[in-house]
Amino acid sequence: MSTPEGPGKPKPKARIQLLVRTEGGEEFRIQQVESGLAYLQHRPQRIPLEECELAELRSGVRQATSYVLKNRQTERYIQLTEPEKFLWDQMDGRTSLQEMGTAYVLRYGAFDFDIIPRLISKLRRAGLLTMRPASRLREVLARHRRNPAVRAAEAAFKALEKLTVTSRRAHTLFERVYHYGAFLLFTPFMAVGLGLVTVLGARGAVLLWADRGEVSAALAAHPVVAILLVKLFFWLTVIAHQMVHALALVHYGRRVREFGFTMLHGFIPTFYADVTDIFMGSRRARLVAALAGPLVHLFLGAFYLWVASVLGPGLFKGFLAASALLQLQSLFVSLYPFCFLEMDGYHVLVDLLGMPTLNHESVSFVRHSLWRRVAQGIGLNRQEAVYVAYVFLSTASIVAFVGLNVWVLLRAGTS
Amino acid sequence: MARQPDVTFLRQVTLFRDIVEADLRAVWPWLRERRLRKGEVLFREGDSGSELFLIRSGSIVISKHVTGRVDQVLARLEPGDFFGEMSLFDGEPRSASVQAETDAMLYGLDRGNLDLLIETNPRAATALFYQLVQVFIKRLRDSGNLVAEVTRWGLEATGLDVEHTSPG
Repeated sequence: MSTPEGPGKPKPKARIQLLVRTEGGEEFRIQQVESGLAYLQHRPQRIPLEECELAELRSGVRQATSYVLKNRQTERYIQLTEPEKFLWDQMDGRTSLQEMGTAYVLRYGAFDFDIIPRLISKLRRAGLLTMRPASRLREVLARHRRNPAVRAAEAAFKALEKLTVTSRRAHTLFERVYHYGAFLLFTPFMAVGLGLVTVLGARGAVLLWADRGEVSAALAAHPVVAILLVKLFFWLTVIAHQMVHALALVHYGRRVREFGFTMLHGFIPTFYADVTDIFMGSRRARLVAALAGPLVHLFLGAFYLWVASVLGPGLFKGFLAASALLQLQSLFVSLYPFCFLEMDGYHVLVDLLGMPTLNHESVSFVRHSLWRRVAQGIGLNRQEAVYVAYVFLSTASIVAFVGLNVWVLLRAGTS
Repeated sequence: MARQPDVTFLRQVTLFRDIVEADLRAVWPWLRERRLRKGEVLFREGDSGSELFLIRSGSIVISKHVTGRVDQVLARLEPGDFFGEMSLFDGEPRSASVQAETDAMLYGLDRGNLDLLIETNPRAATALFYQLVQVFIKRLRDSGNLVAEVTRWGLEATGLDVEHTSPG
């Protein structure tokens, strides 16, 4: 039985007593089994190899070869260091952790006692051993089901989730679109065209700034119509953003596993393309695929500004100018990596750092390890410093964003 | 030849702690002696039975089948302890197996004699039931602790990091 322990005293390993009978006889022995011993004899079993995919990755920060391991069914992926891949290769359900530890020492000459539990935890999170993560929001709701309001919210989310429209055969459609002309998006001509439109858009912005009174007056004359039109039109351009992501996958020979419409977290209507297959492609492919979507907003924003600048006064000019602002704002939000949201810019950042689970690992490190490390006066290694920097910048960005909005609202209220 | 009442032993048994000596002497003839050799099984999980046992000497292991020839040990009892009270009341099959860890001597009290005690000496029966409830509560607490400890064992044995892992 357990006994209360002092705060600083680690709890001893749990033990269970087993009665093991001899074969055929009434004799028996009582054996105490410590959990630590059982752990050493644990034989982790990875999912079948045909259900996962492994790709090599050159890391910018660690200057070492690492690997991306993907679960084909759950579409989750994780990064493995070379030693972790060595351990992963042995997780065949027949090799015990003790044997793996021995093999590790023979191979690397030393043993990091945290590496195996950390790896197992990572593999479980990605469904590469047993478990599959769920939405955190749904987790929180499930924990408070006794509250009638929470039960009602859960029921509403479930109903909204049924609005998901998904096609798992979208890849063929995107292949056709690509071959019938969309391949031009990934040529130098398109880059030149985008550059030209951006310059024209910048010129248009300067001209519109001079006419800003005229633009805002046109919008103020029809505020409700203007807001609804701008929002609806912007929402439709999200389809273009996702389509270009998907076309980038086709361009690099990867598969678009899904394309559709869903209620994100149960209440944010959005289109999406499953582009996870690009993680098995080259770094260039990943960067292009990540940037392709946001560049749609740059193109549209610049194009609207240019067109608006040559139009005469009126609602359409105002509509285009407002839409352009929304597109440019969206470009910024998509590319800005420090906000805890895994947007396109975040994917570019993690690729450059070679740390695909940066968000999760950073939050986990700061919540569970940082303060203990600080209290013990232990310094941070380079990877941990990146974790702390990410959390700090993301938190600061969110605070600044909220602060800016509050300031704008207060200013609008007083004017 | 009739056995001499071993009042000193009965006093050691929690169940009889609050029963006066005269009543203990009255109970004594109802207790049926039973001897077990080391390793001998008194009863197995699933057997029928309606008898409570007091341990006079030796050591007894109570266990529950887990797999193959392996049981989980629920308790290891010593002289003065008692077991088998659940079947005495609910008439259900035995919930665990009982085996002697060493040579042992037990005294059995069956349902008929318990009914007799209730009829003839309600005060002694009440004292016995009061102690029985105390023991039930303690065993219930112990079971809860055992479940928690076995769960901790499972988490440690598998290395499952539930604090940092979302449920799937």
